[in-house]
Amino acid sequence: MSCNFTEKISSLIDGELEPREAREVERHLLSCAECEQLHTDFLNLRSEIASFDTSTQPIVQNRALKKILSSGRRAATPGPGLSRARGLQWSWGTPAVAFATLLIVAAIIGLVLYNRSNKQEPIAKINAPSPAPTATPEPTKPEEQKESETPKRAPANPSKKAPVREPKPGEQFAVVRVPEPAASPEVVSAPERVRSADAETLTAMHFEKSETLLRAFRNVRLNSRGTAAEVAYERKRAQQLVYQNMILRREADAAGDVQIASLLESLEPILLDIANLPDKPNAAAVRVIRERVERKNIVALLQVNSMVLARALDD
Amino acid sequence: MASEDDEFTMLFQDFYPSLCRFLECLLGGRAPLAQDLAQESFLQLHRTAWGTLPAGEARFWLYRVARNLAINEFRKSNTRYRLFDRVVEAMRPASRTPEQEYETRERKQLVLEMLHTLPEDQRTALLLREQEQLSYREIGEVMNVSESKVKVDIFRARASLRERWSKRAKTVGASAS
Repeated sequence: MSCNFTEKISSLIDGELEPREAREVERHLLSCAECEQLHTDFLNLRSEIASFDTSTQPIVQNRALKKILSSGRRAATPGPGLSRARGLQWSWGTPAVAFATLLIVAAIIGLVLYNRSNKQEPIAKINAPSPAPTATPEPTKPEEQKESETPKRAPANPSKKAPVREPKPGEQFAVVRVPEPAASPEVVSAPERVRSADAETLTAMHFEKSETLLRAFRNVRLNSRGTAAEVAYERKRAQQLVYQNMILRREADAAGDVQIASLLESLEPILLDIANLPDKPNAAAVRVIRERVERKNIVALLQVNSMVLARALDD
Repeated sequence: MASEDDEFTMLFQDFYPSLCRFLECLLGGRAPLAQDLAQESFLQLHRTAWGTLPAGEARFWLYRVARNLAINEFRKSNTRYRLFDRVVEAMRPASRTPEQEYETRERKQLVLEMLHTLPEDQRTALLLREQEQLSYREIGEVMNVSESKVKVDIFRARASLRERWSKRAKTVGASAS
C-alpha cells in the first residue's frame, strides 16, 4: 500500500481528524479504490472486534460486587490517605479472625468425626452378615442392632478422631461404601447419587488435601527483605494436586455435578499459581495468591464440601 | 457511606462486563482469569483510590490497573494457563444450539488468535479504541504514552490484522476450491 493517506484513514474512522483534514481524506476515498478498500476493511475489523461477546454471568457479577463492597467496608478507616495504616490493621486483624474461625471449624470437624466414628463400626458389623437378614423380611432388626450398639460404643470412641480422617482412607471409605448396594430396603433412603462413590471419595480426599495446602500456604512466612521464606513444599504439593484437580473437574462436569465442578474450577488457577511460584518468590506474589484465596473464600468452601461429601458417603 | 457504595455499584455495573471483555481479549481468551483480574481491579479501586479520584477518572484508572495486572499475568506461566483455561472453556456446558455454539466459538477464537499476534501495546490500544471507544487522548492516559504513539499503534495494529485476515481468507478460499 503506497498511498500517503493510509494512516489518516485509520484516524478518520476514529474521528480524530480536524474537520478540514477529514473532508480531504473523504474526497480522496472517492477517487482511490485501494484506500476505499482499506477503509472498508478497517470498518469490518472494527465490527469483528467490537462484537466480541463475553460470558459474564449476572450471578458471578453480583457475587463479585458483594465481596468487593464487604471487604472494602472491613478495610475502611475514617480519614483518606491512610492506606498504609489500613493495611496494617488488616494484617493484624486477619490472623485473629482466622484463628477464631479455625477453632470453631476444628470443633465442628471434631464433632462430625466423633459422630462418624461412632456410626462407622456398627455399620460394618451389620453389613458383614447382611445377606441373611435382608433375605428375611425383618426390616427393623438391623436398626435395633445398630441402636443397641451405638450407645455402648459412644463413650469409648472420642480418641479415635484423627485416624478416621487421616490419609489411607481407602479402607475407611470403602467400609463406608459397603451399605450402598442397597442390601436392605431401609438403607435405600440415602440421597440419590449421580457420581460414582469412588469419584466422590477421591474428590473428598482431594478437597482435604487442597484445604491443608492452602492453609499451609496462608501461613508461609514473609521476611523483611520482601521474599517468602520457603515455599518448596507448597509448590510441590500444588503440582501434584493440579493434575488431579483437572481430572476430577472433568469427571464432575461429565456427571453434571455443577457445584463440585465449579469449586474445582475456582481451585485450579490457585493451585497453578502456587505450582508456578519460583524458589524464592517475592512477598507480593505470595500476597496476591493469598488475597485471591481469601476473596474466593475457597478454604471454607473446600472444608464444607469435603464434609458434605464424606457425610453423603457415610449415609 | 451508602451513597458512596451506590455510586461504586453503578460504576461496577457499568464497567465490569466491558472490563472483563477487555481483559479476555488482552489475555487471549482466558475468561475465568479475566473475571478474576477485573474483580481485583475493582477491589483495588474500592480499597485505595475510590473517593480520591476526580470525577470521570475512575474508568481510566480501572483500565490502567487491569492492564498492569494482565501484564503481570503474561510474565507468569503463559502457555500452561492458556491450555488449562481452554480446557475449562471446552468443558463448559453449551447454552445454545450446538451449531450456534460452534460458530460463536470459532468466531471468538479467530478474533482472539488474530489479536494475540499483535504486540501488547498495539493490542491494548486497539481494544480500548474499538471496544471501549476511548479517544486517543484517553487511551494515552490509560497507557501512559503520548497521543501520537497511540495513533501509530492503532494504525499498525489495524494494518497488521488486515493483512493477516486477507491472508487467511486466501488460504481458506484456496482450500475450499
